[in-house]
Amino acid sequence: MTTPGSETIISVRDVEVAFGSHKVLDGLSLDVDRGEILGLVGGSGSGKSVLMRTIIGLIPKRAGTIEVFGQDLSRIAEDERRGIERRWGILFQHGALFSSLNVQQNIEFPMREHLDLPDGFRRSIALAKLQMVGLEPAVATRMPSELSGGMTKRVALARALALDPDIVFLDEPTSGLDPISAGEFDALLRTLQRTLGLTVFMVTHDLDSLHTVCDRIAVVSGGRIVAHGPMSDMLASNHPWVRSYFRGRRAIEREHRIATPMP
Amino acid sequence: MTGLADDYRGLYDAVGRTAVVPPDKPRSRFDVPASLAGVGRSTVEMGREVTGLVDMLGRVGRALVGVARDPRSFRLTSLVHQLDRVAWQAVPIIALITFLIGCIIAQQGFFHFRKFGADQYVVDMVGILVVREIGVLLVAIMVAGRSGSSYTAELGSMKMREEIDAIRTMGLDPVSVLILPRVLALVIALPALTLLGILAALYGGGLVASLYGGMSPEIYMARLREALSMDHLKVGMLKAPFMALVIGIVACAEGLRVKGSAESLGLRTTASVVKAIFLVIVLDGIFAVYFASIGL
Repeated sequence: MTTPGSETIISVRDVEVAFGSHKVLDGLSLDVDRGEILGLVGGSGSGKSVLMRTIIGLIPKRAGTIEVFGQDLSRIAEDERRGIERRWGILFQHGALFSSLNVQQNIEFPMREHLDLPDGFRRSIALAKLQMVGLEPAVATRMPSELSGGMTKRVALARALALDPDIVFLDEPTSGLDPISAGEFDALLRTLQRTLGLTVFMVTHDLDSLHTVCDRIAVVSGGRIVAHGPMSDMLASNHPWVRSYFRGRRAIEREHRIATPMP
Repeated sequence: MTGLADDYRGLYDAVGRTAVVPPDKPRSRFDVPASLAGVGRSTVEMGREVTGLVDMLGRVGRALVGVARDPRSFRLTSLVHQLDRVAWQAVPIIALITFLIGCIIAQQGFFHFRKFGADQYVVDMVGILVVREIGVLLVAIMVAGRSGSSYTAELGSMKMREEIDAIRTMGLDPVSVLILPRVLALVIALPALTLLGILAALYGGGLVASLYGGMSPEIYMARLREALSMDHLKVGMLKAPFMALVIGIVACAEGLRVKGSAESLGLRTTASVVKAIFLVIVLDGIFAVYFASIGL
C-alpha cells in the first residue's frame, strides 16, 4: 500500500462552475493523494456535490483544469477518457442502481460493458464483490426496489468496486443510515481502502465518518476550499464556518457521547 | 406576559424571534412591459425546444452510426424487450380501437349516404380514409399516448434517480444504451401496428356493411378492390416510420429534461404526449401536401 502524501491522483486547479449567473465554484483548487481517504464537507448548497460531479465530468466547468491520473479530462480523446472512467467507481447519493436489473446484474453491468469475461466467471466475481461489502449471496436475485437504504448503498458500492477501481467517489455514503449501519459502512470503507489501496473521495456530513475514516478533510465554503488537512488542523482552524462545524453544538455533543458511553 | 406555563416558554420565545413582516412580494398587477417580456421569453423557449429536438435527433443519428460501425455494440436484448412492450403488447388495444373506428365510419357513411342513394360509395370512403389517413394517424396517436408517455416517464425517473448519470460515468453513452433501442423499437413497431390497424378497421367496416348496410361481404370486397390501389397503402405506410421517429425523439428528449421533482416528471410526460400528437398531425399535413404535389 502506498502511503498518503506520496503522489497526487486528482488535481483540481482554479475551477469555476456557474449555473446561469450564480457562481457555485469560484477558483477552487484541491489535490487528492493516492491512497488517502479525503472527506469533503461544506454547508448545504456550498457546492460539494457540484465539485464531485465536475471532477467526474457530469457538470461542465467554465474555467480551470482538472487532472485525474495526471491527465486533463477535457483534452483527451474519447477512448482515453473511457480508459480513465474504467479506473474509477462512483457511489451516488441514492445509490442510482438500475431499477430494471436485479442486484447481481447491477454489479455485473460495468464488467459486461468493459470486459470480455465468461458468464460464470463474471457471476462469481459479482458474488465475491457482494460478500466483500457484507451482503448475503441471497440478496443477489433481489430487485433494487426490494432493498433497504443501507443495502442499496452497499450494493451500489459493490457496483462501484466491480472493475477494481483506483479511485472511488462517494456522495454522502452514510446519509440516511442508522448510526450502526453508518459505523459498519465506515469500517468497511477503511478495510477496503487498506486492502485494495483505494483512493476515496467522499462528500459527507457525518462527523463520525470524518473522525474515524478520513485521512484528510477539505472544507468548501464560498466556492473555494477554505481549509484542507487532517482532523487536528480542522480543530485548530480559525475560520468561522470550520470552527462552528467542528467545534459546534453537534460536535461537542459527540465528544460527550464518546466520553460517557451509554450504560 | 403572565401565566405562561414553563412548557410553552421556549415556543413563545422562538415565535418572538421570528420575522413578523413578510418579505416584499413582487407586485402582481397587469404590466405591459412584463407581459411583452413573457411573450419574448416563451418565443425563445419555443426555439430552444425545437433545437432540443434537433439535438436529440442528431445524437440518435450519431449513436446509429456508431452501431453501424460496430454492430456488436448494439443492444439487441433491449430492442427485443422494447418491441415486446410497444408492439406485441399493444396489439389488442390497437386492433380493438381501429376496428371500432372502422365500424363507426362505415355506419355513419351508410346512414348519411343512403339519403341520396350513394350506398356503394361508402366502401370507397372507408377504404381510402382508413388506408391513407385514419389508420396511421390513429395508431400513431395511440402509440404516442401509450408508449411515448411510458418512455418519458421511464427515462425521467431514471434521470431523477441518477441512473443516467451512473451510465455516463461508467464510460457509456446513455443515448446508445437507452434511447436508440427505444426509438428503433418504435420505428419497427408503428408500421406493423399500422398495417394491423388498417386491416382491423377494414374488417370493422365490412362487418357493419353486411349487418347494417345490407351489403354482402363479396360485394364489399369487390368494391374495396376497385377503390383501393397499392399506392394508397404505400401513402399510409410510408408515413408510419417518420411518425414513429417523431414520437420516439420527443418522448426521449422530454424524458431527459426531467428535473428532480415528481411534479416535473408529470409535466414532462404530459408535454411529451401533447407535443408528439401535435407534431404527428403536423407531419401528416406536410405529407398530405407532398403526396398531392407528386400526384399520389
